[in-house]
Amino acid sequence: MSVWKTFPRRIGSVWIAVIALYLFSGLASPAMLTLHQLLNVLQVAAFLGVVSLGETFALLVAGIDLSVAGVVTMTNILATAFMGGPGGSIALGVAVPLAVAAIVGVINGLLVAIVDITPLIATLGSNAVLYGGALLYTGGAPHGGTRPGFAVLGQGSVGGLPASMLIWFAIALACTVLLRHTVYGRRLYAIGANARAARFTGIAVKPILISAYVASSLLAAMGGLLLTAYIGQPALGIGDQFLFTSIAAVVVGGTALTGGVGGVGGTVGGALLITELNSVTDILRVSTGVQYLVQGTIIALSVLLYRSIDRARRTRETT
Amino acid sequence: MMKSMPRRTLLGAAGALVAMPAFADVISSAKMTASGGMVGGAATRKKPPYRIGFSNGFSGNTWRTEMLASLHNEANRHPEIKQLIVIDGQGSITKQVHDIQNLAAQEVDAILCIANSGTAVAPALRTATHEGIVTVPFNLPVSGTEWTAYTGTDPSNKGYVLAKWLRGVLNGEGKIIALGGIPGNSYTAAAWAGAKKAFAGSKIEVLAFKDAFWEEDKAKVVTADLLAAYPEIDGIWADGAQDGAGAELALLAAHRPLVPVTGDDYNGLLKLYARYHASEPKFDIAELSEPTWESVVALRLALKLLRGEQVPKETIITPQLITSANYQQYIRADLPDGVYVDTNLTQAQLKTLFG
Repeated sequence: MSVWKTFPRRIGSVWIAVIALYLFSGLASPAMLTLHQLLNVLQVAAFLGVVSLGETFALLVAGIDLSVAGVVTMTNILATAFMGGPGGSIALGVAVPLAVAAIVGVINGLLVAIVDITPLIATLGSNAVLYGGALLYTGGAPHGGTRPGFAVLGQGSVGGLPASMLIWFAIALACTVLLRHTVYGRRLYAIGANARAARFTGIAVKPILISAYVASSLLAAMGGLLLTAYIGQPALGIGDQFLFTSIAAVVVGGTALTGGVGGVGGTVGGALLITELNSVTDILRVSTGVQYLVQGTIIALSVLLYRSIDRARRTRETT
Repeated sequence: MMKSMPRRTLLGAAGALVAMPAFADVISSAKMTASGGMVGGAATRKKPPYRIGFSNGFSGNTWRTEMLASLHNEANRHPEIKQLIVIDGQGSITKQVHDIQNLAAQEVDAILCIANSGTAVAPALRTATHEGIVTVPFNLPVSGTEWTAYTGTDPSNKGYVLAKWLRGVLNGEGKIIALGGIPGNSYTAAAWAGAKKAFAGSKIEVLAFKDAFWEEDKAKVVTADLLAAYPEIDGIWADGAQDGAGAELALLAAHRPLVPVTGDDYNGLLKLYARYHASEPKFDIAELSEPTWESVVALRLALKLLRGEQVPKETIITPQLITSANYQQYIRADLPDGVYVDTNLTQAQLKTLFG
């Protein structure tokens, strides 16, 4: 079989799109090709990047996690509350949100795996609870802030490279190893492909399902911590921007909504593509309405593309 | 936070603006002007005690939190108010319409309202008004005139004043970026329309107008993108100072000089100015307030109407202009960035509210 025929599947179509968009945006505006802007995009992409890594886990098990927005908001509120002011510390500001996120993930996992509630409903409910919790906790008046040693994670650089990007790539590498090179990862994919068959082969489906939602929440919290380090302030609703973009990044990256197909590499590309798109449309002064139109079109086209790639592969396999 | 219908729609049939006596308390230092004639009198008189409903379009930002606190404080000062029912519309246009209908069904004496959509709530308010309920939308205008009375600032004029200041500071020429709020919101639309009038005829070049959701993080990201494309940005027009603050943070991150910026009375921008103005000679601010005590004015108007007194159809509040010359009178250095400084809440109350 010709290498070129399998090229999209091997490299991941999203990466072709990332490179193509980058080159196109450079033609439209040379500013996009500057090193400064490239690093800017990578810095900002890290926030969506980490959150959508978590969403990847949920989608790989044929689920979905709509509570990531609430987790990011709650993380921001708690991190700034426990870090800022007298008695606050970076350790508390990091540990408390992660602990809360882990609890949320367990609850989501239990609702899906044990109580058997549809993931969309279960996690949507969690999202509402988290947002309501943030409102109650702050009374509508969030307070606190970050400390310089923490802020550097979102605003600083190491060797000229954005710290947030380095952290994102490190987490992505860890997730890749976990998903592709461990028994746990193989089982997670198997459950996503066919949970019933996986159970018949002796895989403990429910604990792995729960762990997927815990991973999703923890990674959403890590993304929230990076974003908090970037902006340094609490803001109710700061997580809203990730509710659907996190799913879009994963889907555009090639992970199937039906589960069992996809992975971290595509999600990284998906997050980059969406951030790149926002950046180039900002620079080209495109209106927000057109931005949404373009985003939606790209998401729809990518789903169609992956469906045709899958169909072509199945045809090749049966002939 | 803020959405509105074009001011011209509301003021089209109004009479001449007349100055009116201010309320006799701390709020009385603000200037308010009346338009649209007088309403009320015997037609709106009811016997106390009163049940007041408040349909709040959404909560979840600090302006709304301060506004609500002021409203509750004011309601507690009036023994003739038997009950204050506050319903949160949760940002949903449909829910808010239903909320208003529910309040009317509960036969409250008055309904205060900050609309998520000035057109969507108009029929519900109209029905309530026709049923004899005193209706007082405030902060964000409601279309038509079939509500009892309205109070708020004028976003179109605010946008104009801020742009005029920016034009003056830049001596009529320079390159600016403009940042608005939530995409499609009518408050920003009105403010920007006013701003464009102020820029007309000058050599001010608007490099880009972008929606920044009135959120610092989004404004920072958008401005960082624009900085890549535009090596020279001389000023920032924003209707919300969170956007202004976020934009200045982007300039800081890019090691670019801070520039003149506009916005509302968001404490975060005042603190940023206090921190950097000495080292950044071009950094300057103009903030036109959006008073969080508008709810107090609305409640007092409702009570006057219920007592059978007459009030103006529209009471337009003149906001406070905060600049480098007077910002120290307003800044709350020991309070969070999210505080809106044109407030009738005391320092102690703000500290309690903001933890």
